[in-house]
Amino acid sequence: MVVGGEGVCRPHSGNVSDHAPASLLTTVITSSFSLIYPLCASTCNMKSETDSSTESSTSRLDPSSWDILVLSTIIKILLFPAYRSTDFEVHRNWLAITHSLPISQWYYDSGVGPHDSPNFTCHSHKPVALDYPPFFAYFEKILSVPASFIDPSIVDLNNLNYNSWSVIVYQRSTVIITELLLGAVLLKFIRSAVDPSTQRIISASLFLHPGFLIIDHIHFQYNGFLFGILLWSILMARNGRKLASGILFAILLNFKHIYMYLAPAYFIYLLRSFCLSPSGNFEIKNFLSLANAVIAVFVLSLAPFALMGQMQQLISRLFPFTRGLNHAYWAPNAWALITAADRVLLKCLDYLLRFLRQLRCLYVGAQNSGKEVPINLAGVASTSRGLVGDTVFAVLPNVKPLHTFTITIALQSIVLIKLWFQPTYKSFLTALTLCGYSSYLFGWHVHEKAVLLILVPLSLLAAERHAYFRTFVIATVAGIFSLFPLLFTPAESVIEVVYSLVWFTLIYLPLSKRVYEYPKSLPYVILDVLEKFYLGGFILLQLFVAIFPLGISWYSRRKGLEQAVDERMEFLPLMMTSVYCAIGMVWGFLRLIFIYLHEDTSYQGQLSTIQ
Amino acid sequence: MADFPDPSAPSPPKSSRNSLHSFPRSSSASSVTGTPLAINTNSNILRFRPKPSPSPEILAPQPRRHLLESNASQSWLHTPPLSPASSRGISPTSTRGFSPHLHSNGQQSFRSIMDHGVSKLTSVKETSSPETGAGRRWIRWSHKRGMRASLITVVFLTCVLVKMCVGLGSYSGENTPPMYGDYEAQRHWMEITLHLPTTRWYTYDLQYWGLDYPPLTAYVSWVCGAVARSINPAWVALDSSRGIETATSKVFMRLSVVAFDSLVYVPALLFFSRIWLAKRSKRTQDLAFLLLMFQPALSLIDFGHFQYNSIMLGLTVMALNCFATGRDSLGAVLFVLSLGFKQMALYYAPAVGSYLLAKCVMLGPKAGGRLFVHLGVATIATFTILFLPWLPPFSSSPFALLDPLSRIFPFARGLFEDKVANFWCASNVVVKWNKWASQGILVQGAAALTLLGFLPTVVIVGKSAWDLNTWFLRPSSSTSPAENDSDQKQQDPEPSTLPLLPLLLYSLLTSSMSFFLFSFQVHEKTILLPLMPLMLLFSGSTPDSDIFAWGALGSNVAVFSMWPLLKKDGLSLPYFVSILLWNRLTGHNPFKLIRTVLPYTSLVHLLSTCVYSAIFVLHVLEPFVKAPARYPDLFPVLNVLVSTPVFMCIWLWSIKSCIQVSWAITGPSGSGFSVGDHQIQHRDRAMSVMSDASDLPSSSSTSVARQLRDDGTRASSLGYAQMKKKRRTSTHSVSGMSSAVPAPPSSSFLSRSNGSIAVTGHS
Repeated sequence: MVVGGEGVCRPHSGNVSDHAPASLLTTVITSSFSLIYPLCASTCNMKSETDSSTESSTSRLDPSSWDILVLSTIIKILLFPAYRSTDFEVHRNWLAITHSLPISQWYYDSGVGPHDSPNFTCHSHKPVALDYPPFFAYFEKILSVPASFIDPSIVDLNNLNYNSWSVIVYQRSTVIITELLLGAVLLKFIRSAVDPSTQRIISASLFLHPGFLIIDHIHFQYNGFLFGILLWSILMARNGRKLASGILFAILLNFKHIYMYLAPAYFIYLLRSFCLSPSGNFEIKNFLSLANAVIAVFVLSLAPFALMGQMQQLISRLFPFTRGLNHAYWAPNAWALITAADRVLLKCLDYLLRFLRQLRCLYVGAQNSGKEVPINLAGVASTSRGLVGDTVFAVLPNVKPLHTFTITIALQSIVLIKLWFQPTYKSFLTALTLCGYSSYLFGWHVHEKAVLLILVPLSLLAAERHAYFRTFVIATVAGIFSLFPLLFTPAESVIEVVYSLVWFTLIYLPLSKRVYEYPKSLPYVILDVLEKFYLGGFILLQLFVAIFPLGISWYSRRKGLEQAVDERMEFLPLMMTSVYCAIGMVWGFLRLIFIYLHEDTSYQGQLSTIQ
Repeated sequence: MADFPDPSAPSPPKSSRNSLHSFPRSSSASSVTGTPLAINTNSNILRFRPKPSPSPEILAPQPRRHLLESNASQSWLHTPPLSPASSRGISPTSTRGFSPHLHSNGQQSFRSIMDHGVSKLTSVKETSSPETGAGRRWIRWSHKRGMRASLITVVFLTCVLVKMCVGLGSYSGENTPPMYGDYEAQRHWMEITLHLPTTRWYTYDLQYWGLDYPPLTAYVSWVCGAVARSINPAWVALDSSRGIETATSKVFMRLSVVAFDSLVYVPALLFFSRIWLAKRSKRTQDLAFLLLMFQPALSLIDFGHFQYNSIMLGLTVMALNCFATGRDSLGAVLFVLSLGFKQMALYYAPAVGSYLLAKCVMLGPKAGGRLFVHLGVATIATFTILFLPWLPPFSSSPFALLDPLSRIFPFARGLFEDKVANFWCASNVVVKWNKWASQGILVQGAAALTLLGFLPTVVIVGKSAWDLNTWFLRPSSSTSPAENDSDQKQQDPEPSTLPLLPLLLYSLLTSSMSFFLFSFQVHEKTILLPLMPLMLLFSGSTPDSDIFAWGALGSNVAVFSMWPLLKKDGLSLPYFVSILLWNRLTGHNPFKLIRTVLPYTSLVHLLSTCVYSAIFVLHVLEPFVKAPARYPDLFPVLNVLVSTPVFMCIWLWSIKSCIQVSWAITGPSGSGFSVGDHQIQHRDRAMSVMSDASDLPSSSSTSVARQLRDDGTRASSLGYAQMKKKRRTSTHSVSGMSSAVPAPPSSSFLSRSNGSIAVTGHS
């Protein structure tokens, strides 16, 4: 099954015309294509255009894809009046900034000189400058043009917290429309897949991913569009067009810099498989074309700001290092586990000290001077404050940004070494996932939304074999569950839970039948059972999270307490969610890295056929 | 209850189903009509097909019969080609096989020759564009992937999701302080039922949303109120909670509707699809359930506008299910509960009442009398229990009952409220009724017209029962032939319950529609009542049948007729979106209908085209054209003028269908049927008539052909369950064509009734 060869070098315009009936898609795609086409046309022309006509007969979007598109769009449209986070206002503000201010002031708060608070506070009365890279700013600029026609007050700079129906409909529908890029790319994934029927399920699962629904369509962001570009880049890698893949990733980096989590895998993969021949010879031509293309992309993005001498300001906007180790709600990563452990240790020590003191009172009498276990008082205060801002450990040694970087890079380099020696598509995909994974687990100030960086590439591996599938299931369930606290309004909470449940059922049942394997030996059986128990625990956790606030209010009514219980207990469900999900995430990471390093070479999954 | 397909069933049908997937998408019936297919049914080939190209790929030769032969046979049977969108495609065991024998006899009716010509013209178009709904595709996918078991759950959860999403929008009277709207009314009832004694429920501060629904609503409100109090007492605090609109209280209210919907309406629909469509395939049953679940009108009203209609409708559907299984007394109790929830269920009362009485008549003096007494006792007891708090031993004064009754039946209001798509409001454009006649005369006129409206169905049900009565009395006197079928009688505990059943849904439709059109003080939302039986009929129909067309039209127009109301509630977004969703699921495409202007195949098509065009134009014009100051209600009135004729037509169509079904049930009078097979015939006909009564030919010769089809083709090709049941009586034929032909009833019947058709030799 030669898949790589089939899609290798069709001119891009051919791809675009495939979607001609879905006219909605074309506008998005053509605009993006026009960016990339001149850059990679050269490499495409090297190869033949022979098979450009083979797929023309399949150009129609088949009915089931339409069904998925219609059904998902309907749900997204119904979510228009749903809860919006402050990101909604931030994005509206960016529309206003890019529309009304000259480009020189885009990265300065309220258009006047440098600023000193990178944390945008949503209730401030100043417009907050951009903190995404320039391409996203250009993107907002493009979006602001129709907005100014629809309702000029959308792009009014001083119109803070504007929330009329027009701006809601406009911004929400831009998310839906730009997400069509994701849909188009996922369709392309099916076209030339090894096993199209499985890939169809995976593509549908990605298009309907609850993560996108929660983060993009309720919370409000443009992840669907950005992951569309990422998947496009991965698709190019699968089809053997490494140059295009690299360029697309460079473009993506200039849309949102969080994708730097994945950059090491791209770097190694492209270097090894594109700039070096399989025998190890340096392909200078490929290297130069890649380097030039990537540099061109960055120049396109950054040149205006570099010329204006704003690079310093730009970087300080993009990389604010003044934030803490954990985000306000702990993202379920290793640090969440360690922070939780710190809290538990503190409690234990507290009891231990009290116990010791009692002992001392009994036996030593009046002597009160003695060695105390060193407890960081700031850390104690940090616990009582709940989960806000900077995390200071009470018992364990504090973690510095340098530590997190070291651990992340160490883990990534293990993966990358393997990738260097095995630069296949499947290996690349796994390494990509693992890079994102290790950054997520050990990064500094990771936001829970970043979990999509793991879940999206991991989904592509889901149907590879049972080991991957189980990893996918654990990471997905834990990751999506960890997104639930993002929406704290009651109606949306119900919707996200029900949606995720339906989605998971529709993905799990057909895929699990395809990939099921018997556990090999007793330890595997035990692991299997434990993992099932872990997954079942989420039901209990959800019940607890749902019932706990009711129980608290009922209890406090009973006792006549007003605030006391609430304040202490408010964070308990969040903490439990975070810790429980973190266990799954860490376990998923261990599983995946184990599978990657000990891949059973005798077993050839479907993706193994792609070079 | 219903007999589900047993998973441990013998393998032939299963393997045949697998083999079907090898036929790509060209599952159109006319090309693959029934001869045994010599294909390799080894499913491995299919599963590991390396890379199926999206274009159809032929793995086995598709036998193609001679054009004349296949068409003639279909025309002779007047069978519409097995719907191109049929979920199951053609089975090798499908029994079109016997038709050549008919044909070989050289008997072609005039109709068949004519149809042959027509079908030659239209067949190409039919096969090229299979109209499959998303719902059908979804169900097919789930069944293929082995997700049968979880399908119902997934459909249910998806439906809950959509309902919750609709519920995110605003509700009736949101942020309109002095009086608010229906939402506040419901919440207010929770408050008063929770805090006041029963005697004051119907008298407390009537100006502010006094309770005006029957006691079951009050009890349900009390339950909701009790739950609300345990969560947050402020939501239902007496008087002080008026107009409370916090986010959490809204979610609680929305969830209470979802909960009762899931407890009452969803199970009722599930049982309906399993009981009423018991003879159809599992996929058809699932599809019916899905289509009923996603009905936009009800979800917009219940989850957007805010009401608890699904409880009333659910209880009625449950009652229908009980009637279908012969538990008439239980059905009567459930129907009274439905009445006790909302008095609007009275719209169904003529139909239900006439059905039950007719059944008593049909069963004859002894059994019928017993049934009558049971029904009477059940009904009176249920009413008594419902109204117990207002009856003497529990209430202080003997006249306490008047409080709820006067609240439930208000005669002091106008002829119609707002703009509602019924006869009075539509004709009010021309004839100003309020100027012409006094209130009293109008009330009497409305009552008389309503009576006239549902009289036909009552008469038809009564007459059919009378005819059947004479029939059923006979076999008791002559015993000899009936013993042949004794084993089948044992399977079917009470075969006599079913003959009248197919009339029931049509009769419900006629009666509720006549109430909607002609009665007094009707609200837009009341269209939900006629819509329910229409949707029940629709759910089991095939996409090319008349019922499908009427049902789709009726549903879309019903939602459209509520547009002014929904727009006022701020639900325009959910309105458009849920209409789109439902039409996508059913595969009904109004735009396509408009585009294919000619040739009109039927009245429905013509009507739908006109109405959809009008609706489309109205919706496009409304945002841009401002209504002139002289006619501020221009658009609502136009809405009424578009909707009313459709409802009128549906009402007339339902009467027509009633008549046809009654013919189908009672048979042509005076024909030489022998008595032995009656019960079996009735049972078989009863179920299949339901789905496509409008296709019924009226002459007795075609009804013979129809009988053939009911017993053989359709049932065995679609009804896996039935096939299993019937296999017991059939002889397995080597040719493979007729392995599933249910031999005894149809063949014996045919051989006796019409000797020229030699079918019996085959099985």
